Amino acid sequence: MTGRSAARLWKTLSFVVALPAVGVCMLNCYLKAQHEHERPEFIRYAHLRIRSKPFPWGDGNKTLFHNPHVNALPTGYEDEN
Amino acid sequence: MAHQAHSYHMVDPSPWPIFGAAAALLTTSGLIMWFHYSSTTLLTMGLLSMLLVMLQWWRDVIRESTFQGHHTPTVQKGLRYGMILFITSEAFFFLGFFWAFFHSSLAPTPELGGQWPPTGVKPLNPLEVPLLNTAILLASGVTVTWTHHSITEGNRKQAIHALTLTILLGFYFTALQAMEYHEASFSIADSVYGSTFFVATGFHGLHVIIGSSFLTVCLLRLIKFHFTPNHHFGFEAAAWYWHFVDIIWLFLYMSMYWWGS
Repeated sequence: MTGRSAARLWKTLSFVVALPAVGVCMLNCYLKAQHEHERPEFIRYAHLRIRSKPFPWGDGNKTLFHNPHVNALPTGYEDEN
Repeated sequence: MAHQAHSYHMVDPSPWPIFGAAAALLTTSGLIMWFHYSSTTLLTMGLLSMLLVMLQWWRDVIRESTFQGHHTPTVQKGLRYGMILFITSEAFFFLGFFWAFFHSSLAPTPELGGQWPPTGVKPLNPLEVPLLNTAILLASGVTVTWTHHSITEGNRKQAIHALTLTILLGFYFTALQAMEYHEASFSIADSVYGSTFFVATGFHGLHVIIGSSFLTVCLLRLIKFHFTPNHHFGFEAAAWYWHFVDIIWLFLYMSMYWWGS
């Protein structure tokens, strides 16, 4: 593909290949997100939800990106107890 | 007036190196005070002084180069070597985290249920948001190349558009990753899976933020006419760093997201 200039070539690649590929992936994510997934049941595994020492924020028991809907605490999901 | 008989830049005495070292000391000891004594004063002072040193040091480099003309081709060559060596050191930094990941995932211990992902860990689907993030970073690599050629060909308007697009793609990636971190059913505290995943992708995300900031500074300088078609090393360094960030993501995606699920 010989454009008049290299800038022209990369501009074309940006709008014809790169950005449409992003668009297709966005569509794919949107479609996949339509069905909600169930969250796994809480089993108190020793290798998960490890607390060697409290976190230096809040009550020390929640990770930085804690989400009560999908992240259980060491004692179980917060909204089930 | 004295003239130099060589093409190197003998930099005027500057306080930034020692202040930068002091900022690093304040930051590291600040982390200790935060983790062990619940105090954030030292850490705040450390991060603030780090920011101020970076702004003022790099402002001085721009003054010395763009406005005072000290960056001869010889000086630029040295800067190129420097950036390449720095990126190489960063590659080794990430290599360590990849080593840790493969150490734990190739031979999962009985404590993990003898499998990878460990028992009870539901990994992210690599074909959903992680795939979108891959497309975003690859696209941004294309747009940053468009930017470079636009600068070389003297097309100011296109260069500004292309670089803006690149930065927006970078922000989109960061926003999506933050959302993924919030939505993931596993956390950093979930066995060595969580540790390796979040430390590696977390440092990568930090590098995306650093790269986006570097590109943003380049955009501001581009708008203010700092770059010429033949001399724009600041931009080239930012573009190299950005490509590096993209490549690290590709390795993360293939190993942790795809193979590791």
